[in-house]
Amino acid sequence: MKYVKWTLIALFWTLVAAFMHYTLPQHDVARITDTLERRENPSENPWFWSQANTGSDPTLPRDVFFIQTRLADDSVMVYRNEDTGWGWPPYFKFDTANLQAEAADAKSTADNPRWVVIRHYGWRNEFISIYPNAVSVRFVDSPDVTIIPWMNIIILLGLGSAFWALRVRWLRFWDDKVDPVLEVAGDKLDEGGSKLRGLFGKSR
Amino acid sequence: MLALARFLIVATVVLTVVYGSVWFYLRARRREYLEIDWAAESDEPRSQEDYVRENLVEYDKRRHRTLVMLVYIVPLCLVTLIVYLTNFH
Repeated sequence: MKYVKWTLIALFWTLVAAFMHYTLPQHDVARITDTLERRENPSENPWFWSQANTGSDPTLPRDVFFIQTRLADDSVMVYRNEDTGWGWPPYFKFDTANLQAEAADAKSTADNPRWVVIRHYGWRNEFISIYPNAVSVRFVDSPDVTIIPWMNIIILLGLGSAFWALRVRWLRFWDDKVDPVLEVAGDKLDEGGSKLRGLFGKSR
Repeated sequence: MLALARFLIVATVVLTVVYGSVWFYLRARRREYLEIDWAAESDEPRSQEDYVRENLVEYDKRRHRTLVMLVYIVPLCLVTLIVYLTNFH
């Protein structure tokens, strides 16, 4: 029972961590090599794409902007560029076309690189063809800038303290109000048990 | 526009649940404080029940004002700020 309990707890926190890792903003230093628009059919793994525009059929393929980059560590990364609109995750991004224009303007070659920081959320996975969603692009002077993720620090601290505050109150409520009642119920059950034993005493 | 309506409806429902939970929690806590206060005040002419009830009415009004600010207005400002920072900054 102890192993089942700890497995479930570990599973829960793994899911929470994965969810946060997918949703919270991350920063990559990269060089944009190309921008393009491609027809995609997000109905196969819709969780990892934005909602189709209202009024269009969500099962049909649609055009999605992409930003191709080479990261500062020399690996390649491809971002999609989609509105999140009023949906989840709450980036409230509506300026996809503008961002695509900025990204196209920031294109550079390996010989004459212009480095940018790409703020994004999401995962790249080749097997199920999913791409992180770029949120903003800004120029930096060199590829080795230090980025302190203030937003993530604030959000995680906030969530952590909210969780802790609720947990402390929940445990206190349980100790003060529920446990005494359960104890009384347990005593009653024991008394009833002896009565029952008395009732069926003869058969022993 | 439909997406905005859906967002507003979901947000209103969630925030109202938060408002209700926090309202009842704070009221229960205030009631405990008032009971302690009543026990401390030796020359209080009212019964404990009257004392707590009359004081709670006053605190209900104040709590409503603070909670509307914290639970509805602050998230609204936050969303506006995020919309501005993401799209126009």
